[in-house]
Amino acid sequence: MDEASAHIEAGAAAGPAPAVTEVPNPKIVVRNLSFRYGRFQALHDISLSIPERQVTAFIGPSGCGKSTLLRCFNRIYELYPDQRASGEILLDGENILDRRQDLNLLRARVGMVFQKPTPFPMSIYDNIAFGVRLYERLSRAQMSERVEWALRKAALWDEVKDKLRQSGQQLSGGQQQRLCIARAIAVKPEVLLLDEPASALDPISTLRIEELIHELKSDYTIVIVTHNMQQAARVSDYTAFLYMGRLVEYSDTSTIFTNPRRKETEDYITGRYG
Amino acid sequence: MGEASATAVDRPARPAARPGGRALLQDALFRHGTRLAAVAVGSVVLGILAALTVGAWPAIERFGAGFLGSSAWNPVTEEFGALVPIYGTLVTSAIALLIAVPVSFGVALFITELAPGWLKRPVGTAIELLAAIPSIIYGMWGLFVFAPLFGEHVQPWLTERLAGVPGIGILFDGPPMGIGVLTAGIILAVMVIPFIASVMRDVFEVVPAPLKESAYGLGATTWEVVWKVVLPYTKVGVIGGIMLGLGRALGETMAVTFVIGNAHELSASLFMPGNTISSILANEFTEAVGELYVASLIYLGLILFGITFVVLAAAKLLLIRLGAREGRRA
Repeated sequence: MDEASAHIEAGAAAGPAPAVTEVPNPKIVVRNLSFRYGRFQALHDISLSIPERQVTAFIGPSGCGKSTLLRCFNRIYELYPDQRASGEILLDGENILDRRQDLNLLRARVGMVFQKPTPFPMSIYDNIAFGVRLYERLSRAQMSERVEWALRKAALWDEVKDKLRQSGQQLSGGQQQRLCIARAIAVKPEVLLLDEPASALDPISTLRIEELIHELKSDYTIVIVTHNMQQAARVSDYTAFLYMGRLVEYSDTSTIFTNPRRKETEDYITGRYG
Repeated sequence: MGEASATAVDRPARPAARPGGRALLQDALFRHGTRLAAVAVGSVVLGILAALTVGAWPAIERFGAGFLGSSAWNPVTEEFGALVPIYGTLVTSAIALLIAVPVSFGVALFITELAPGWLKRPVGTAIELLAAIPSIIYGMWGLFVFAPLFGEHVQPWLTERLAGVPGIGILFDGPPMGIGVLTAGIILAVMVIPFIASVMRDVFEVVPAPLKESAYGLGATTWEVVWKVVLPYTKVGVIGGIMLGLGRALGETMAVTFVIGNAHELSASLFMPGNTISSILANEFTEAVGELYVASLIYLGLILFGITFVVLAAAKLLLIRLGAREGRRA
């Protein structure tokens, strides 16, 4: 393992910088992004573009910086005082790392779902309505409509329609995660960030989440972090391989998995390390 | 057993039972020991209840439930009633909570959510030190430092601004003596803040980061996250902390005795002196002569016991109702 990582580090440092992959309709453009946790530099000079209404996957071994990169897109890292990003992230051409960026508005445009389901301690209905109420004044009927819409989008409606007033924490793990996805799409964001959304779930729930991702991509730009390579291969259109805080290779998913340009990528996807 | 050992030919030998059945004995001792501790607590509570009832019996026999509603307190004619100290106890505790709960909430929130890293520990430690100060120090500080300042600067100001307000005006209309029910309530607030604040801080700190991040991730402000997610998530702990503070406020004796004025009068004004159950007990037990006088004081103790019990029961009910609203038992 140590040997392998040493080899990879040397490879990543010595080899040519990965060519910037051109994507159609870039929604997010990252330029020279670096990220620090205090003194530790977690991301080194990342540049890539994320296409609109496609699924982009970030893969790589634990600690490679894939979640960190994801957490830059809604600046959720700002909750922690010693975390800093530098560089540029353009969302529709606007630099969201700009200090003047309104964080709450940004987060309404860029929704996020986490590894473990995080239902709020309130009813299923209120879980969905929570985010909507922050930005919109809806009548009771409109709100019910929105809640139903979000739950249908998340393929959860049929399972919970008779118990909307029950606590969201009473649902099963897979249902909770779909509730969290419904909650995130209820505010109608443009981008959906999924941070290992299925890694805490059983295979059947995982399959449902993957089907859901497939359906949601017609409306949303989706970025998913996963350490399950089969999952990345199944759900994504583009895949970025990160290692030791650097972007090693970024391409359309079939190229990454069938004909990777770099040896490190091949080693990783064939399971030789990681 | 025999079957298992017959098939376990090439498995490592299973560990032999520990010599002399020591494990079994240990377990039994442990089980009985913990049970004994639990039973002991229960029997002490029951014992106190019984002792109070027996001690108060002459007064119970004489005054019955009317004791609760009577404001008389005359050792000479042996007429006693509990209304004044009950009122004083409840009002001072209510004032204390009214001040302490929001302040503690703010302190805990600041420490867990807003303070920069280097400030968290000093503020937290200061709060804990506040809890370590003996109550008599609070009493002396209240009487010699706080009360004169309060009477000179704050009370006249309050009277001027609020005495004319219909409804609550009467609470702030009175001589600015410094000591009194309001002063006692404020001192109590200072005393219970560290308890409530440190419990709140502890429970806020165990809220999982992803839960808060999810709420922030929807675009919620810190206030919205705390009010709508953190507080509901931690409600059991928060209410527990408030109850801990309330318990302390209801029973606090020395500090209150110093600043409340110890007058057996019922007065609408919070500036007037009053009495609480525990301060009347502290003040009068040594000089109580006559069976009925002593029994009346013990009766007061029994009532304080009852008040505490009711408060705890109310807290439980509140939690059940909150749970229902959240949809847990819908």
